[in-house]
Amino acid sequence: MRAKHMLSRQSGQPGIIAATMRSLRESTARVLGLTIAVSYAVFVVWLYVQQPQTVAEMTGALTATVGAYQIDRQAFDDGLRFFRGDQFDAARLAFDRADPAHQDPRTQFYIAYSYYRQGWGRVYNDDVLFARALESVDRAIILADHGRVVVDDPDLQMRSGDELKAELQAGLRHDASDFNPLKLFRRRK
Amino acid sequence: MSRNLEVFYLPLLFLTVALFGGVRVARQVVLMPPPLFTLVLAFLLLGVLVRSGALAPERLMNPARPPLANVSGVVVLATFFAAAAQAFNVAIPESGLPRILFDVFLLVLLLNTLAASPDRLRVLRSLLVIFGSAFVLKYIVLAALSDPAGGWLKRVLQSVLEGLTLGTLTQTVYSPITGYVAFGVLTLFFAGLALLPSRSAVPDIGPGGQQDNLLPPRRPL
Repeated sequence: MRAKHMLSRQSGQPGIIAATMRSLRESTARVLGLTIAVSYAVFVVWLYVQQPQTVAEMTGALTATVGAYQIDRQAFDDGLRFFRGDQFDAARLAFDRADPAHQDPRTQFYIAYSYYRQGWGRVYNDDVLFARALESVDRAIILADHGRVVVDDPDLQMRSGDELKAELQAGLRHDASDFNPLKLFRRRK
Repeated sequence: MSRNLEVFYLPLLFLTVALFGGVRVARQVVLMPPPLFTLVLAFLLLGVLVRSGALAPERLMNPARPPLANVSGVVVLATFFAAAAQAFNVAIPESGLPRILFDVFLLVLLLNTLAASPDRLRVLRSLLVIFGSAFVLKYIVLAALSDPAGGWLKRVLQSVLEGLTLGTLTQTVYSPITGYVAFGVLTLFFAGLALLPSRSAVPDIGPGGQQDNLLPPRRPL
């Protein structure tokens, strides 16, 4: 046995095997290090682009990136019920619970609509609520495929993100038409 | 330099600096990307470190190394650049007159250091003083001046700067935790700077007691 080992040492085989193993370990470590560093760098860039405010937003955005994000259906239905009953604050609480990461365009559309309906006034609109509605509808448009948000709900007069956004922008604009007395006869959509 | 340091520790350390360097905590957490000017400063800093021997790029990339090892070297340099940009982002005020003054001051200081070409230890000491002073000015002096509630430091500074309008000096008020994060980021950055492969370092000895044959021959300083 000893003689055999001596023989193989003389032929240099263990040295070659050891060198090959060392080289393999070296390559594996470098590939692993590169993978970790590149993944970490991608994560950092992603965080700076997404700007998540909470851990829920961060995890939600991550799952949305891989297409695994799902809203809480029960909370969404509750929100819809409150929304139809003109209980807008309660509706938004339920919608926020349904979509804590703000990643679902449909829920964000309803949140925007709830701000719109709450802020709408026959004489004047609540600019703060309209501005929040605009933020939400913008978010919905960004999240939707090709920016197209369409909600098939017979209760709504505006069923697309574009219509809602245009209505909100018009509501936030202050010009001479604000003094038109016929505005008193307009109706909330 | 050990393989693990080059492959794992330095890139992860610098990426952590790059991640937390933009954190600003106010009513909500904002991740502030580095302004364009900090990229210029980071590039100058890279030049200063190479010139002084505090960073020896030839130990990270050279024709004698295997391609994979050279890629690791590139990753170290790239992550260092990102971390340096974010370290300047931490140290420089975000707006107004202080931002312009800090930008000009740091640019001139780095150009001066580049021209003087001091050795590694002096450069590291000098950088420590530069970043330390910038930290104190931004997170203690300017933060006190910008604090709407005001404290004893604000009253002292107002009496010292009597007649000077503070409108151009005040900054966005952040939560105190921002200062603590900034301090941690700068500490990590300096740890990374000290760990960078330098030209004056003692040659690496491999596990078998042999000198690291991946390194090129050392050049006289």
